[in-house]
Amino acid sequence: MEIRALLSALWRNRTGPLLVAAQVAITLAVLVNVAYIAQQRLADASKPTGIDLDNMFWVGLETLDSNYNQAAAVPVDLTYLNSLPGVVSATTVNVLPQWWGRMGLPFAADPKQLETPNGGVPGAIYFGTDRFIDTFGLKLVAGRTFNPNIVVPPAADMAASIATWAPEMIVTRAMANKLFPKGDALGKTVYVGLNNKTSTIVGIVDHMQAGPSPARFEQFSIQIVIVPIIPPGPGGTFVVRTRPGERDRLMAKVEKDFADLQPGRYVRRMEAYDVTAASLRSGTRASAIILATVAFFVLAVTIIGIVGLAAFTVTTRTKQLGTRRAIGARKFHILRYFLVENWLITSGGALLGCVLALAAGIKLSTMYQTPRLPLYYLVAGVTLVWVVGVLAVAVPARRAASISPAIATRSV
Amino acid sequence: MLVHDLKLAFRSLKRNPILSALMIGAIAVGIAASMIAVTLYHARAGHPIPWKANTLYAVTMDLRDDDPDLGFSEHPEYPPFQLAYPDAKAAYQSDIPIRSVMMYRSGRVVAPENRNVKPFGATVRVTTADFFQVFDVPFLHGNGWSRADDDSPAAVVVLSKFMNDKLFGGVNSVGREVTLTGKQFRVVGVIDTWMPQPKYYDLNASSGFDVPEDFFMPFGWMQALKLGPNGNVNCVSKRARIESFDAFITQDCVWLQYWAEFRNAADRDRYQVFIDNYVSDQKRHGRFPRALNNRIVNVQTWLDMWDVVGDDSRMFMVLGLVFLVVCVLNTLGLMLAKFLSAAPISGLRRALGASRVDIVRQHVVEVVVVGVLGGFAGLLLTLAGLAGLKVLLFSGMLIGSDNPDRAAMMQAMVHMDVPIIALGIALSLLTGLLAGLYPAWRIGRLAPATFLKTQ
Repeated sequence: MEIRALLSALWRNRTGPLLVAAQVAITLAVLVNVAYIAQQRLADASKPTGIDLDNMFWVGLETLDSNYNQAAAVPVDLTYLNSLPGVVSATTVNVLPQWWGRMGLPFAADPKQLETPNGGVPGAIYFGTDRFIDTFGLKLVAGRTFNPNIVVPPAADMAASIATWAPEMIVTRAMANKLFPKGDALGKTVYVGLNNKTSTIVGIVDHMQAGPSPARFEQFSIQIVIVPIIPPGPGGTFVVRTRPGERDRLMAKVEKDFADLQPGRYVRRMEAYDVTAASLRSGTRASAIILATVAFFVLAVTIIGIVGLAAFTVTTRTKQLGTRRAIGARKFHILRYFLVENWLITSGGALLGCVLALAAGIKLSTMYQTPRLPLYYLVAGVTLVWVVGVLAVAVPARRAASISPAIATRSV
Repeated sequence: MLVHDLKLAFRSLKRNPILSALMIGAIAVGIAASMIAVTLYHARAGHPIPWKANTLYAVTMDLRDDDPDLGFSEHPEYPPFQLAYPDAKAAYQSDIPIRSVMMYRSGRVVAPENRNVKPFGATVRVTTADFFQVFDVPFLHGNGWSRADDDSPAAVVVLSKFMNDKLFGGVNSVGREVTLTGKQFRVVGVIDTWMPQPKYYDLNASSGFDVPEDFFMPFGWMQALKLGPNGNVNCVSKRARIESFDAFITQDCVWLQYWAEFRNAADRDRYQVFIDNYVSDQKRHGRFPRALNNRIVNVQTWLDMWDVVGDDSRMFMVLGLVFLVVCVLNTLGLMLAKFLSAAPISGLRRALGASRVDIVRQHVVEVVVVGVLGGFAGLLLTLAGLAGLKVLLFSGMLIGSDNPDRAAMMQAMVHMDVPIIALGIALSLLTGLLAGLYPAWRIGRLAPATFLKTQ
């Protein structure tokens, strides 16, 4: 092939090709990193929750005055909810899982760990009744759920509730393995930071997620401790799981009946649980969409650059191309010439782009404290740039190939 | 002459309509991307109270005995951003600051007198009296309360404008009563529209941006009504024990925001000594196990410390500028191609007596025209993009809220003000020139003979 002629032609008109190569380089660096960040965020947002979100809803009650008798009201409410036809199970909770807020304490298998800096295992805490596991649709893999008669009634306030604590707890497998790495957590005693209490692990659930989180903080959202305590008032939050297809009907019914079931309160808010979980992830989704849009436009602009350069080259070389055809080059040779020329330009850009992409990747991974850019992203990126380059140049190249040999004779 | 150049420029643009459209489009997209990024960044990076840049300070003390965030914190060297009640109370004793505030956010239920209006939950800032003067809160009616009212505590509240509109239809409600979770309070003041962004005085909000509270009440109600905080509570000492609300407030758990205003820098330094002495004294009682790390910082340092701007804004900013660079390179290439393909015409003009300067000027004018058209299209694209982003990023914030301030805050996050529009215009001219100067210069340097030969 006429590779030397090709290189020499490129070198004679180097400005345009250099500009396109620079664009390709930056585009590759942007594409690869943006795709990686977007992918990580979407992956973080779509990790399994372990919760039967589609068949659940929650109700938040607010009380109108400080004399509201929380301790008397909650059992009545729970009995009402659990007796509704179509309800699988209902519980009260201190904080909603898959909501913005969290409550947490340090836990340890050995009380001495709680005295040392950074000792103890951080765990998110959920208060609930013996029906917590059923209500959230969690999978019990060892032990049992709570005994209904050990559920601790509501204390005066949250501080008092934490201080009173409860003798039993159910933990997620992630929490169990962190506390007891040997895998013998069931039946063991756990020490609780801040309140000097202990509880026995009576059950282990497979998986539950408090909320979406970046991979590096994942342990904080899957190390969960469930305690049989009815949370203090005022008001309260109830979670209900229904049989499939019954949720909308029951939400309407509960909204109508629930506040009036007892005086002195109103329904502050109620929502289907999948809606709640989705709104918690809307920011992540939004940033992924923005990143994808940016990536799309950068690529589009670069395609314009490649097409523009090739079209220009074809126009200015019309006479030479005609001459080449006249002295024996076939259409295929002209086509090949442009494809190879473009391939050289994009490859040069891609090479530089790999360096830029890696540099940007290192910067981003320290900024967001995420793992380094995996190399297969670069491989995919370079492949994409090659394919797009060939497609972009195809139209002008075909026009070049169709130049009639007679052109060579015309303008003399 | 300029008119002639403009005419030539438009004729040249019309000669290759597709190429021209691509160039203008590329500049427009580049301008829009960078402008959107700048707007979002600008909204987060503003100083909420520039006239108190060097008199208003946040006060923090390092009460931790180990890293309370268990690895959550980006900057474990910073003290917690809130204070424990015993320490806030001690800081409040000093008369070095001209004004000080200790405060936190809580919530109450409002039962409107009008029985047709459903009860609703409202946010309450429980604060000492100086709040309104320290943060320069504008009053529509009435006033705040005195330090004596904090101690008694007096059953008085200040309303936000939104609450006054909602409860009293916007009339002067000073002297009227409101019922908050069964307890009556007398309205002493109504504040005017006031929405410092970022909400620097309490960063316990979604990434530092939130609307101010609905009610403000004297700090004494914290203990009198056992009003729990609804922001972050962090028990930073392993010795902290939580048994009841009354016990909780004596423990080493941080949950109060604390600000002080000084006459001058010397007073601030004296206050630093005062705080350090207090902490050293407490060390004798076994508290504050770490080395002295009490930071009294101005608003800008405060916002920087807690990174209110955020990594994402910075990344989008860089991304926007990189995008603009790609567009400049792209336009440069297209412009060069366009000019060179029209070189024979320039050759002809040169041969007919036009000077090199004439040729360069003619092309620079064309470049500027492309830049301005691209910039104009870019501004329109920016507006469209920001409108889309508003829906994408913030529509979730409006769910379950009838507070018009919230919508105003969303709007402020995507607001293009005059300096930003000016920046956009400057940026588009600069883009056009960066992309066009070299091609214009190249075309001016060509010897006319080269092109005449081939005609």
